[in-house]
Amino acid sequence: MRAVIIGLDGMPYRLIADLAERGVMPNMRTLIAEGAFREMDSSIPEVSSVAWSSIITGKNPGEHGIFGFTDLSPGSYRLTFPSFADLKAAPFWEREGSGRAAIINVPSTYPATARAMNGVLISGFVALKLEKAVYPPSLAPELERLDYRLDVDSGLAHRSLELFLEDLQRTLASHIAACRWLWEKEEWETFMIVFTTTDRLAHFLWEAYEDEGHPYHWAFLAHLRKIDQAIGEIAAGLDERDLLIALSDHGFERLEEEVHVNLILKEEGFLELEEAPSAPDLEAISSKTKAFALDPARIYINLRGRFPRGSVEPKDKERMIAELLDLFAGLELHGRRVVRRACRKEEIYHGPWLERAPDLVLLPERGFTFRARLEFAAQAGGASHFTGKHAQEGAFLLVKGEGAQEVLPPNLKPGVADVVGLIDRLRQSER
Amino acid sequence: MDHLERLENQSIYIIREAYRQFREVALLWSVGKDSTTLLWLARKAFFGRVPFPILHLDTGYKFREIYEFRDRYAKEWGLDLIVWRNERALEEGIGPERGRFQCCTLLKTEALKEAIAAHGWRALYLGIRRDEHGIRAKERFFSPRDEDFTWDYRAQPPELWDQYKTKAAGEEHIRVHPLLSWREIDVWEYIAREGIPIVPLYFARDGERYRSIGCEPCCRPIPSQANTIEKLIAELRQSRISERSGRAQDKEEAQMMQKLRALGYM
Repeated sequence: MRAVIIGLDGMPYRLIADLAERGVMPNMRTLIAEGAFREMDSSIPEVSSVAWSSIITGKNPGEHGIFGFTDLSPGSYRLTFPSFADLKAAPFWEREGSGRAAIINVPSTYPATARAMNGVLISGFVALKLEKAVYPPSLAPELERLDYRLDVDSGLAHRSLELFLEDLQRTLASHIAACRWLWEKEEWETFMIVFTTTDRLAHFLWEAYEDEGHPYHWAFLAHLRKIDQAIGEIAAGLDERDLLIALSDHGFERLEEEVHVNLILKEEGFLELEEAPSAPDLEAISSKTKAFALDPARIYINLRGRFPRGSVEPKDKERMIAELLDLFAGLELHGRRVVRRACRKEEIYHGPWLERAPDLVLLPERGFTFRARLEFAAQAGGASHFTGKHAQEGAFLLVKGEGAQEVLPPNLKPGVADVVGLIDRLRQSER
Repeated sequence: MDHLERLENQSIYIIREAYRQFREVALLWSVGKDSTTLLWLARKAFFGRVPFPILHLDTGYKFREIYEFRDRYAKEWGLDLIVWRNERALEEGIGPERGRFQCCTLLKTEALKEAIAAHGWRALYLGIRRDEHGIRAKERFFSPRDEDFTWDYRAQPPELWDQYKTKAAGEEHIRVHPLLSWREIDVWEYIAREGIPIVPLYFARDGERYRSIGCEPCCRPIPSQANTIEKLIAELRQSRISERSGRAQDKEEAQMMQKLRALGYM
């Protein structure tokens, strides 16, 4: 049984259902009719690096060690950027007997050269240089010829949506071209491609999807239509015995307000920064700080022994967590509750890297998104030039193949860490 | 011949060789310990009188001590000092608080491009060392750059058995790295041996000192009691922390940060 996995970064269940229904994504409509189509929960926090790391390893962050796009160097306030080399669990294609794989544009698989594999790989976000983003390196010249683009230049969207959309199209076209090339060229048993332009589109133009009168409404739909065509092309290349999975890593919804977690911690007396000559970073955390946050809302107790200027004694840690839980449970902006759930690390993570995890992770109520900047805006909440935000609930999973309905009964809501297990069960039942 | 003498000889040879080859050269002086050591070696190579200009890229954000030191020794050593600033960017209010990556690009890289274009230098001496940073380990003593400053490190001429390829065709300029083989500790031992004057920020005051200096907003001191050069050398022998750990961040991290920022993270 060959398996093909198509990722649509950030695409929510209800958007896919809606566009399939409306005929914008006719190929998805067919697949939904033939397979099992379910809502799926994202990781906590609901960011692509964490969620995709769970999808490809089948593990939770306590086991794979990726807790966000950033992390702290142990025993310090130094910000690090975890890479593919820091992934502590093996992706499914590295497991014994998994066969040859072709993996394209999965976020957090940069640098590609960090790990050896049986197959080929092109890294996804945050890939910087093509020569470090391909495995084996011999792929680079042909990809350059195909004008392969590692990522959309999201900075463009802050200047011109017109240029941004153009870049988005060009990037998608290059991803599809690379997909066709490797599909033909490689002898694969597992093929995976993630379309990430969807996430970028949703960040900047979510309102264009929701509002039919929006000048870019049709551009939004046209982009999804292009992706649907690519999905149709892939599906047509498979036969009855093959397994097809389409999925997203997190949901999306309208962004109404950004909430600055560190500013709240500061105003409530948990966080104090030393005077810094310029924009402060984590090194400015003073020895009076009790707690601080990394993006989007990973909260660390400034524990003595864990951090250089740790001020909270280990015996007082529980009390501090209780105080923070109290604070966030009661947090309101404009009369609306802000925090849907404050998760203690023991509730959501398990595994050998639990110690490295943040002590608390906040999930927002609908419409709010958390930011952990230390350069404070004047107010805790505020407007944004983004119009969409990630949602922890409402990602999607679609499985088409022998036994799909059995492994995904309608009452079951899978999470991102369940995908590898599902593929294993489907492949085993076939044997 | 001890190893400091060997390093000194090699550096002086490279400095003279490059000057003979290119003539229109300049030495990039950040006023830090490495480029000051390089400048010292250049003075030695030409018997006290450096025959080419010394370029200082002034970002406007350097430590006060750096400016004082620069002006004092430019005079004392009779240097042909050229101070270059990207005035346009500074007028626009570019600074680290508006993004460190952009700040570095405009105030250092762009400023250097402008300075090279204005003076038409064919080669530039830099005080970089192989042990500073992973990517610098790949550097050559003579290292070509094209007009975009791109360094094609995969297609460099080899420098085996000290055979330097000093001539290059079609390149914009050559970077010359006489200190490439030096380690951080070698530099300090040489400074101690020669009595080279050095910016006081490197020595501990109130339990802190700078191990690497540049622009004030982007450098942080390390805890240290080393207020003399002997203590400093003893401290380095103990330390397992990287030299540039007090620097804001590496370029690659800065690029990642920029990409994440564009999506609203950070």
